[in-house]
Amino acid sequence: MVSVRYAWNELRRRFGRTVVTSLGLALGVGLVMGIVGVSEGLSDAQNRILSPLGSVGTDIIVTRTVAATTSQTTTTTTLPNGSPGGSAVRGRGGGFFAQGITGYGATSSEAASLANANASVITDLQKLGKPGTRFTHDFLVPGTLVTFPSVAVKDVARIPDVTVAVGALSLEALHETGTVPKITATVKTGGETISSKVKQPTLTPAQQQKESACIQKQLQKHFGGFFSTSRAPSRPAGASGASGAGGSRPGGGTVRAFNGFTSLPAVQKCLTPAQITYNEDVVVPEQTITQVLAAPSTNTATSTYTVAGVDPAGPDTGLITRSQLSSGSWFTKNSADEVLVNTAYASTKHLKVGGTLAINKKSYKIVGLVSPTLTGNVSDIYFTLSTVQRLATAKGYVNEILVSVNNASDVNAVSAAIKKELPGATVLTSKTLADQVKGSLSNAHKLANDFGGALAVVVLLAAFLIAALLTLSSVAKRVREIGSLRAIGWSRGAVVRQIMAETLGIGVLGAVIGLGVGVAVCAIIGAIGPGLTVTSTGLAVGASHLDSLLNLKSTGSTSLLVHLTAPVHLATVGLAFVGAIVGGLLAGAAGGWRAARLAPASALRDLG
Amino acid sequence: MTTDPAGPADSIGSSGEPLYVLHSVERTFTKGGVSVRALRGVDLTLTAGEMVALEGPSGSGKSTLLQLLGALDVPTAGSIRFAGRELEHASDQVLTKIRSEEIGFVFQHFNLIPTLTARENVWIAMVPGSQPHQAQVARADELLDQVGLGLRAAHLPSRLSGGEQQRVAIARALANRPRVVIADEPTGNLDSETGREVIELLSELRDKAGVTVILATHDEEIGLRAERRVRLRDGLLVDDRSVKGARA
Repeated sequence: MVSVRYAWNELRRRFGRTVVTSLGLALGVGLVMGIVGVSEGLSDAQNRILSPLGSVGTDIIVTRTVAATTSQTTTTTTLPNGSPGGSAVRGRGGGFFAQGITGYGATSSEAASLANANASVITDLQKLGKPGTRFTHDFLVPGTLVTFPSVAVKDVARIPDVTVAVGALSLEALHETGTVPKITATVKTGGETISSKVKQPTLTPAQQQKESACIQKQLQKHFGGFFSTSRAPSRPAGASGASGAGGSRPGGGTVRAFNGFTSLPAVQKCLTPAQITYNEDVVVPEQTITQVLAAPSTNTATSTYTVAGVDPAGPDTGLITRSQLSSGSWFTKNSADEVLVNTAYASTKHLKVGGTLAINKKSYKIVGLVSPTLTGNVSDIYFTLSTVQRLATAKGYVNEILVSVNNASDVNAVSAAIKKELPGATVLTSKTLADQVKGSLSNAHKLANDFGGALAVVVLLAAFLIAALLTLSSVAKRVREIGSLRAIGWSRGAVVRQIMAETLGIGVLGAVIGLGVGVAVCAIIGAIGPGLTVTSTGLAVGASHLDSLLNLKSTGSTSLLVHLTAPVHLATVGLAFVGAIVGGLLAGAAGGWRAARLAPASALRDLG
Repeated sequence: MTTDPAGPADSIGSSGEPLYVLHSVERTFTKGGVSVRALRGVDLTLTAGEMVALEGPSGSGKSTLLQLLGALDVPTAGSIRFAGRELEHASDQVLTKIRSEEIGFVFQHFNLIPTLTARENVWIAMVPGSQPHQAQVARADELLDQVGLGLRAAHLPSRLSGGEQQRVAIARALANRPRVVIADEPTGNLDSETGREVIELLSELRDKAGVTVILATHDEEIGLRAERRVRLRDGLLVDDRSVKGARA
């Protein structure tokens, strides 16, 4: 039994107190809505970014990565004619490229073959025409993802609890235009005649071989280059790197051209004493050294972009999926002549759906634009798998397997099985991806998770406390009034209920205002909130590693700027209402308790 | 006995029977280690239908006695019987019920609820009861009519004069048809003219409704209007005289 009319009159006629108490509750509730909103916004963003595997219907990605060693030195060399020869990264151990790289998940021979594949671009230029002619060509290289035969995909598909396993090929493309450079130079050295009466020391074939090897070693050690003496190098075996031939084949690189190397102190170590003596006075034998020059030379322009090959028959599982189309459509029956382009890449290159893209003298129709997610191996251009295999002369090879499993709980077991089936493979799941994603988004999300709840509770308690204190003070001012009510027959319970009815009204008012405050707070956060970054470390398809090796700038981006929003969900609104009303009732209980404690006699005693 | 809407609902105590029987009543207040004996042993019997003036200087215990008679407080010693019921051991709930149904109060400072109109102030006394709202409001208007404020029913206390406020308080006191109206210095805040009017009103009501009226007062004139004058000093009864036929 409560007098609503009395409560209404009380709130209406003591309006100041009503409004102030409501505002206290409203502010608390509004802030809590803001905190909850930010927390949910961060979770939403986090889920959006980190469930890229899920969004491409994939739970696990399998690759074989080669990582460069951590200690590297960069040297810049110049050719004798003064043109820059590019720079080389010299790995530990003194060798360039092949022996300097220690592979994670790849053997050293594979590392070498990878190096070959990546460096073959240099010698492939020979194929494009005679030196001095103009050329345009796109070379596809695998970056740091070693290719492997696509039979591995079938092996993975057979693992229990695997729903689907598809292969993909992600490559870095080097687009080169320029003049076919002189790839090989024939340099003649020696020929000086020095008269001497001393006979040239003879060496047995075995001695010659040993000396030759020693000289090679010294030259390699000091000048980081491979030299072939008296013979032009032939093309290295295969661009796909299917079988490495060890590190001794010339893989190309930076070399120095000079005359009379035998006078170098390092090389002298290899010579027999007789030779040394002889050399002081003897005709330096003529030697023709054919060296591979660094490419490209100054009039070759190179730009890079990334490509990937996907299975056109699998629009729901793969590097990209149909659901990621931002315009246009998926591959049609003529998929061999079609291409899907990354929306971001398309806008920088002014490509549109319906237009064409030409690669190595063939035109491909752009049938759609896609927006792949951050950590899902972003590429610029997507062909069908067979097209890419053909362009990269890597028929029958893939460098990624995308796997989806039956249940979330199967992920760990399947990952372990894959690691057993393909030793040395890198097996990535959503969790490992999440661990690799850094940046202010994940920091903020963690902060919100850790502290958001506690902060919300504190704010709410503060609001309740303020409302309770204001109500208590109001009751204190109404001692006489309450005493009168008690005198005329109102029980303690009736007084408490009456006060709680008043504060319930305040709570409802606080809820309504609080909702407005909360929506405003969330909107303000959305408008002026900071952009948060998401950076993926170490996952980009070969781009960053190939960059540093060949000193080329990559076009692919691995950092995403996420705009922070604070969404207002129905649950948050419900929370706001309940929070304010509970706050009102608690304040009423506090006030009612104070009022009930008043003995009617003492309430009236002061008043005579 | 009476069908006056203002009168008590039943006939107990309406025909000259003892309404209050106080025996050796004491009330001691202890505050911060200091004890004050406001009443030191009072014996008093009040009859239904009487108009009683409680007189005495400040500190004589009159307010305390009034509060005991009004079931606002209980004695620390002695016994009080009201309408046949003992009050000294009654719980707060019992006392509240008695106050609600059988006792009406009028205070020196009126003690109306400032956020309610005259009508609402009379009605608020009926809220603990179970009558339907409309009946309660109708009765409130009727009572206001009886005290001469029918036209001011919708006014807030701030819009009423002191005398008018006291009349509203009287109407409120009568809302639940009490046996007794207890008034603590009802004319204390009023000028003499208005004060006389208020006493006149109380007297009328006592006549019409058979309500027992107990007044605490400093005012000699009021004392003269009462047919029984009880004087207190230092917590003890020092005088108790009935004046038959004091009022026509």
